[in-house]
Amino acid sequence: MHEMGVALEICRIAEQHVGSAGARFLTGIGLVVGDDAGIERSSLEFCLETLLAQPPFAGATIHIAPEAGDALRVDYLEVDDARPGH
Amino acid sequence: MPVRVIDVRERVMAQNDLIATEVRQRLEAAGVPSLNLMSSPGAGKTLLLERTLADLAPRLRIATVVGDVQTQNDADRLSRHTSRLVQAVVTGGACHLDARQISAALDAVDLDDTDLVFIENVGNLVCPASWDLGQTSDVVLFAVTEGEDKPLKYPKMFKRSRYALITKVDLLPHLDFELDRAIGYLRDVNPNIEVLLTSARTGQGLDAWYDILHEHVRRASHVVAEST
Repeated sequence: MHEMGVALEICRIAEQHVGSAGARFLTGIGLVVGDDAGIERSSLEFCLETLLAQPPFAGATIHIAPEAGDALRVDYLEVDDARPGH
Repeated sequence: MPVRVIDVRERVMAQNDLIATEVRQRLEAAGVPSLNLMSSPGAGKTLLLERTLADLAPRLRIATVVGDVQTQNDADRLSRHTSRLVQAVVTGGACHLDARQISAALDAVDLDDTDLVFIENVGNLVCPASWDLGQTSDVVLFAVTEGEDKPLKYPKMFKRSRYALITKVDLLPHLDFELDRAIGYLRDVNPNIEVLLTSARTGQGLDAWYDILHEHVRRASHVVAEST
């Protein structure tokens, strides 16, 4: 079950890009997961949901696009520059 | 518009792979080949290494990095057969080794005084197949006490491996394991995989295994000699 390690790395990548883009709030993460990537999708979703419930992410949603092959990448991030609800 | 999309397109394994590349360059510069042994739990990685160290350690300077989820029992077993460093990496629950752990373990190894590095990965046929460690070659072990169709069930592991050691072959007379069928499945998944039939208990097939190790050592040191 290496999905938690993968999820942590996804969060590290997201945090780095959100910071360098000067964005304030991450609202979504777009992933590409190949069917030969050795990833159990529901397990990865579970790990990410757990991590994304914590600060500094606070409720970002996950969008997983399947693909043939062994791709595993963070494709895009959705960010909100205004504080949600304000 | 406060909501926007940031284009990222970054491979999740990019950082691990970067460290793995550094490990590979470090080992290549020192002329030290490294073999990453992987299998399901109980296929015989530690016994194979015990026997290999006992037979070759007097002539080859072998360092070993051993990954386990808990305990350093395997590292303790191996250290009885060599005076060289046996590094235990306790992953604390993780089901595989990663390149950062190998890089840290190698910090304690004098590569100028080493001919060969073994990495004994965590017993698991799924997760280790996704992580590059900077190794020269992958070796998968597959015991005759397992099902013949393991290569079909875990193709990624068998696809990436250069060598497959079918282990515990001394038990074949007592089992219904169909060797030809198992080798056929191995070749279906990876036509180029080199298959060895071994028993670390009786020593069967180990000469061929040792020939492979010596060839790796010879080739790696030759590359360094040519570049200097």
